[in-house]
Amino acid sequence: MFSLMANCCNWLKRWREPARKVTLVMVGLDNAGKTATVRGIQGESPQDVAPTVGFSKVDLKQGKFEVTIFDLGGGKRIRGIWKNYYSESYGVVFVVDSSDAQRIQETRDAIAEVLQHPRISGKPVLVLANKQDQEGALAEADIIESLSLEKLVNENKCLCQIEPCSAILDCGKKMDKSIKNGLKWLLGNIAKDYEAISERVQKDTTEQRAQEEQDKKERSERVRRIREERE
Amino acid sequence: ALRRLKNTPEQEVRLLLLGLDNAGKTTVLKQLAAEDISYITPTQGFNIKSMQCSGFKLNVWDIGGQRKIRPYWRNYLEKTDVLIYVIDSSDRKRFEETGQQLAELLDEEDLAAVPLLVFANKQDLVSAAPASELAESLSLPSVRDRVWQVQACSASTAEGLQDGMTWVCRHIT
Ligand SMILES: Nc1nc2c(ncn2[C@@H]2O[C@H](COP(=O)(O)OP(=O)(O)OP(=O)(O)O)[C@@H](O)[C@H]2O)c(=O)[nH]1
Ligand SMILES: Nc1nc2c(ncn2[C@@H]2O[C@H](COP(=O)(O)OP(=O)(O)OP(=O)(O)O)[C@@H](O)[C@H]2O)c(=O)[nH]1
Ligand SMILES: [Mg+2]
Ligand SMILES: [Mg+2]
Repeated sequence: MFSLMANCCNWLKRWREPARKVTLVMVGLDNAGKTATVRGIQGESPQDVAPTVGFSKVDLKQGKFEVTIFDLGGGKRIRGIWKNYYSESYGVVFVVDSSDAQRIQETRDAIAEVLQHPRISGKPVLVLANKQDQEGALAEADIIESLSLEKLVNENKCLCQIEPCSAILDCGKKMDKSIKNGLKWLLGNIAKDYEAISERVQKDTTEQRAQEEQDKKERSERVRRIREERE
Repeated sequence: ALRRLKNTPEQEVRLLLLGLDNAGKTTVLKQLAAEDISYITPTQGFNIKSMQCSGFKLNVWDIGGQRKIRPYWRNYLEKTDVLIYVIDSSDRKRFEETGQQLAELLDEEDLAAVPLLVFANKQDLVSAAPASELAESLSLPSVRDRVWQVQACSASTAEGLQDGMTWVCRHIT
């Protein structure tokens, strides 16, 4: 009886808790499998994707979380935009093509730059070691070593989990369990530290918005002046 | 999210090509329609062409981009399925102007949440800017309310145009 009441209270408490909004940024080199991964998470077929040279986002409900994932282009010529999305992110999903040993150095440089960024350091990071279905794919330990992951996460105080997975196996409920587990881990760790991350996100986003407003005003002014000179 | 059933007539889609004068909009349109591009003059009003793409009937509107006709763009925004914004990637001097023009467009209610394809045109010129520089100059990273993509292309050689249209067709809702 008591336990029933206790359960009820817990349930009520949880029901009253407002949904927690969480934004995640998904990055990694081009061809790593980011878009295939988000498609699978959304319950859409992860087959037949095309390179992203820009931005797209998905919204989903995960338990008490309202999650937004930013899927960004990873190609060399677009990678420069990643930093613009760090301030509002609660955590990072970094996708690696485990079957592409040739690009592991480039991957290492890219992930180092992400974790060292002042607006990311200290936030939890999920590394998806994707394309495990490919023959010769690097295993978890190889990837940790070649990315110097241990050093990187310690230096930047990022909680980190690595999940070997395959984004193209299936989607929705049948999606690779490792991806689901990884996401659960990431959200769980964000939940534990929600207030603090939330505060940081708000502060950083406010700063960034103010900067963007300022830039916009200055641009307007410059465009106006150029037009006047021309006309 | 295609709600099209077999045997139903193909879905009509409205695409809008906008961008500053001289960006190459009309050249893009004519290339897509496989027409001669040798005699193109600045557009005073608009051009429209219909074409097929993965089971859609695309009605593509190209509106003149000269400063004095830009105010008329507003009349064409309603019911747009995808906005295609064309940039002369070699004309860095005008990146800010075109960025501001685009920002004003994206604030329009009629274009709320409409997917955005940016054709980074004139990539055949050595002075063309790469995608990330363009994206930043156009303040694209502050655009969070819709999916957007930069497609490098050359309307003169047609390179990149089909890839852009494939993206467009995937993002029709
Ligand atoms: N074998 C295998 N192929 C995969 C897997 N995940 C993705 N791919 C393929 O890898 C290619 C790239 O996948 P995308 O999801 O487009 O990669 P991305 O990281 O979004 O790349 P960009 O958008 O260019 O940054 C596609 O051909 C996918 O089908 C996987 O787990 N195994
Ligand atoms: N080098 C190069 N020139 C191009 C390309 N596309 C268009 N042009 C040239 O740019 C000029 C302007 O092209 P238009 O297609 O008329 O431009 P528009 O955007 O329709 O201009 P308005 O009608 O005034 O708004 C023409 O001289 C074209 O030949 C390209 O990809 N490469
Ligand atoms: Mg992608
Ligand atoms: Mg024209």
